[in-house]
Amino acid sequence: MMPRADMKTDTNITLPLSFIVYGLIALILSQFILFFSSSSLLSGQFRIPEIWMSAHFLLLGFALMVAMGAMYQLVPVAFLVQIWNEKFGFVQFFMTAFGILFLSAMLGIKPNFAVYGGILTVIGVFMFLLQMERTMKKVEKKSMMYYFVIASLSFLLLAILAGFLLVWNFAFGGIPNHEAILYTHMTFGVAGWFTLLIFGFSYKLVPMFSLSHGFSMKRAKPSLIIYIAGLSFLVASFWLPVSFLDILGWMLLWAGFGLFVLDIKEILQKRVKKKLDKPFIFSLIAIGSGFLIHTIALGFSLFAVHHRDIWSWLIFLYIMIWIIFSIIGYLYKIVPFLWWTHKYADRIGKEKVPTLKEMMNEKLSIYLFILFSVAIIGIIISFSFASGKLLFIFLGILAFTSLVYGMSIIKVLVQ
Amino acid sequence: MDIVEKVQEALYDVIDPELGINIVDLGLVYGVGADDEGNITITMTLTTPGCPMHDSIAAGVEHRVSQVEGVQDIHVDLVWEPAWNPSKMSDRAKEMLWG
Repeated sequence: MMPRADMKTDTNITLPLSFIVYGLIALILSQFILFFSSSSLLSGQFRIPEIWMSAHFLLLGFALMVAMGAMYQLVPVAFLVQIWNEKFGFVQFFMTAFGILFLSAMLGIKPNFAVYGGILTVIGVFMFLLQMERTMKKVEKKSMMYYFVIASLSFLLLAILAGFLLVWNFAFGGIPNHEAILYTHMTFGVAGWFTLLIFGFSYKLVPMFSLSHGFSMKRAKPSLIIYIAGLSFLVASFWLPVSFLDILGWMLLWAGFGLFVLDIKEILQKRVKKKLDKPFIFSLIAIGSGFLIHTIALGFSLFAVHHRDIWSWLIFLYIMIWIIFSIIGYLYKIVPFLWWTHKYADRIGKEKVPTLKEMMNEKLSIYLFILFSVAIIGIIISFSFASGKLLFIFLGILAFTSLVYGMSIIKVLVQ
Repeated sequence: MDIVEKVQEALYDVIDPELGINIVDLGLVYGVGADDEGNITITMTLTTPGCPMHDSIAAGVEHRVSQVEGVQDIHVDLVWEPAWNPSKMSDRAKEMLWG
């Protein structure tokens, strides 16, 4: 059944923008914390309070909050339903924002107090899940995108629960298998929630931004099923002493990701818009990067590479060049879109209004994306050569670029 | 030029903000009708169902058409069937997007 064309599904712009602005501040904060912790990173010490703080400001403060804000905007567009309750959304924003701030800060300052931030964060995420459950319940046509989003939300729930068990252990102890819970938390959060969410919305955003038509999406269903199977086997390998489970898990994850890549390739081949916007290209490159990381991880598991430092850096790369770079690219499209709708929507046809492209400085975006990439490559080279000086420089570039990126996005909102 | 032709001409001034191309060349306008009193009906679609810009583009169409001499009431009928596809674009639009 086709949607009624007069159906209003737009979200109040303040709601997604609140999440996004918070997220940008958290991004800048996380990168500066990392910059000031460079000596710890060099010695491969990822499991220290400063790194936990940076990682949680990055993954929860930036990536999670921006994803939530984007979903408040994109779920109505993708599924043609109104958000269940916007007032509830604002309450959820404040709960989650404060919870993440307290959790992340305490992880760095006093880890045994982080559990209290964890409680608020879990409540905030539960509220978001309730909001999405009530909203998605109204969806009439359940496409593959629907199932990707439902799957990603399920993994968000599992990741947050596992995360809560971890901070509980910091505060009170008593929960066994802390290491297995940690790996489970990371896998469900990073590969389950974020990856499946990006997969799902890419099936909407990539055709939209490239004006593609006539593509099949035939690999979407096997991609989802195989990827979830991969996650299940990988997580099982953390808990069960069975040797082949992790290899099987990485193999399935690689295959699932590969099928998604093939679908995206088909969408782009059938596009009408030849010249793509640079920020969007950056997000597309991130897809390639994500697949590369999966390939490396599969290689490591096949060749029994178990060195903790190497895996720590691989996870860092997975987060940065797949998840964070995807979000960074898409934000350069989403924010102007939100602001244009707010500022110019009622002026179209009355006067000359800027196009979306004219609202952002695309030239600056090219420099920023290059600097982000150079910083990451530089960080890996620094680690490879155990150079503290180089690491300091490249982390500095990353922090500075994040600051300029954040300011360039916020500048759109003050035009 | 009769009123329908004037309205069709005016619609070239309504630009899709994402693509920077007018809605006529994009092939979004399916039809323009007028009765004897100058009441206009415009049947159109968008490239993406659920696009949050549909209100603003429809409102933009209404405003631009209201500036055409002789136009009385305007009704914009936003439809999703038949679905838009690239073959509905003009050669000029295809040239602008593909080069």
